[in-house]
Amino acid sequence: MGRYLGKRSLTGLLTVIVVLVLNFFLIHLAPGDPITILAGMDNPSQELIDITKAKYGLDKPIYVQLWTYIKTLLKGDLGHSIIQARPVSQLIMERLGNTLLLTLTSAVLALVIGTALGIAASRKPGSALDNVLSLIAYVLYSMPGFWLGLMLILLFSSTLRLFPTSGMVDARASYTGIAYVLDVLKHMVLPVGTLTLIGIPGYFRITKASLAQVLKDDYNTLFLAAGMDEKKIFRKYCFRNAILPTITTFGMRLAYVIAGSATVEIVFAWPGMGRLVMSAINTRDYPLLMGVYLVTSVSVAVWMILVDIFYAIADPRIRYS
Amino acid sequence: MSTATISTNLTKRRLREFAGAFMRNRQAVIGLSLLTFILLVAILAPVLAPYDPYALIGNLLEAPSKAHPMGTDNLGRDVLSRVIYGTRVSLLIGTIAAALSGILGTSIGATAGFFGGKTDAILSEVIDIVLMIPTFFLILIVVALMGSNMLNVMVVIGLTSWPGNARLMRSQALSLRTRTFVQAARATGESEWRILFRYIIPNGIFPVVSNTTMQVATAILTEASLSFLGLGDPNLVSWGQMIFNGRTYISSAWWVAAFPGIAIVITVAAFYMIGDGLNKVLNPKLRS
Repeated sequence: MGRYLGKRSLTGLLTVIVVLVLNFFLIHLAPGDPITILAGMDNPSQELIDITKAKYGLDKPIYVQLWTYIKTLLKGDLGHSIIQARPVSQLIMERLGNTLLLTLTSAVLALVIGTALGIAASRKPGSALDNVLSLIAYVLYSMPGFWLGLMLILLFSSTLRLFPTSGMVDARASYTGIAYVLDVLKHMVLPVGTLTLIGIPGYFRITKASLAQVLKDDYNTLFLAAGMDEKKIFRKYCFRNAILPTITTFGMRLAYVIAGSATVEIVFAWPGMGRLVMSAINTRDYPLLMGVYLVTSVSVAVWMILVDIFYAIADPRIRYS
Repeated sequence: MSTATISTNLTKRRLREFAGAFMRNRQAVIGLSLLTFILLVAILAPVLAPYDPYALIGNLLEAPSKAHPMGTDNLGRDVLSRVIYGTRVSLLIGTIAAALSGILGTSIGATAGFFGGKTDAILSEVIDIVLMIPTFFLILIVVALMGSNMLNVMVVIGLTSWPGNARLMRSQALSLRTRTFVQAARATGESEWRILFRYIIPNGIFPVVSNTTMQVATAILTEASLSFLGLGDPNLVSWGQMIFNGRTYISSAWWVAAFPGIAIVITVAAFYMIGDGLNKVLNPKLRS
């Protein structure tokens, strides 16, 4: 176990380094740069461009820039945004909470609803309920999140006028306290609804598949033959054995809480990481782009390793060598 | 009987059994019928489309009517004709990206599993690393910075999605290399690479095929997301871009964004259903 953990952590570390170097070169070698954008379209002053480039070290060879970046990174500094002239970590922290509010809420909702529906459908395989749920699952599974978001806006905002179409708070009202919380909740309904609906089929399918396998196991027949109550067998044995893949799926989803909802955030103009990335790309804001990507890849790597550890502890059949 | 015939017979018998089981699987049949329909639409697009998809023929944002069953968009182009032509782009990007992922995954996974040892250790590490890279942001950066032409989109999706296939193929190769017919082939003096391509890959490719089918669906969704972010190839008619255009008019002209979305759902669902069907038929544990 210890050796396995060490190996996985090493892979995680390697991934982050690969991602770092790959992105650095991709971003810096691509056409367009932040200084030209900053200098403006008409009448840019060459002198000013040169000074600004020197200030951010962009006049040096790329490998020197990479080395400088890594050195500041090792000090725990993600650098300064060139366009917004603020620390990258500050910009990310401002948005990260907003994104997590959406993604974590919908991840938990999708887990609960999807698993419950999966269990309901597994009780009588091939029944009308099972067929209808499976069909809905297929449709939702195939749906682009941003499109579902637009359709929900069309239905609930434009037509029924129940919920606001975009943003996180009403910009015209400056709410405080409970009113503020309620306003945010109202703005959350549609984006969280979209992400939840998109997330449900994954849990539905995995629950159904693993229950189908567990229900076929021999011990069920044994317990039934021994006269045990069918519901009790299900609760005590089948469910416990079948829930493991569901939890793993949940863990894997959590790995993508930062990056996974970018398009849905953009549909609802939610002030999260998705919009931050898009603006960083459009303005070629190198340090910001690097910072966002670094945070994302570290979180993915850490979560994947945690899921592996959990799996190794939870399932005694798995022994890593 | 030579080892080659045994292996070919094995493959043939499995294929026949498999075709029978596949056609008995409901999802697979629905998916296959949907795909046939979609393929026909793509091939017959010039015949089926009432107008030129690029032509500015009607009033702006005209509601669905007899002349324009799906209305017109913000430039007065016929939405139905654009949805029909969009089929071509989605299918092309989806299949080529998935095929690239399938080929890369198969060769890397098979090499790792079959040769084992140091080769396996290194390749497995590479697979694990690529598996951990958050792909959507990477694809986003590459396409946004390197140019959003169709080739870039296909290649970058293919290059980031192969590790799943590689893992499947590797485990197949690991178990196949100990089988009798492989040992027999080795005894008759066939070279290792020949064994890999003639026995290991053909006999172990089935799970990769079903996974690759699913990846066509994922690739279509990824392309749509990119287009929706304004990063689609501007020279093409793509469903994602149509939704991107229609987004602004969602409350006044819903048809511009709604219909291409439905087209995406149907196409993606077809590939998922076929992939699921293949999976169930190939995995005896799931067969009921």
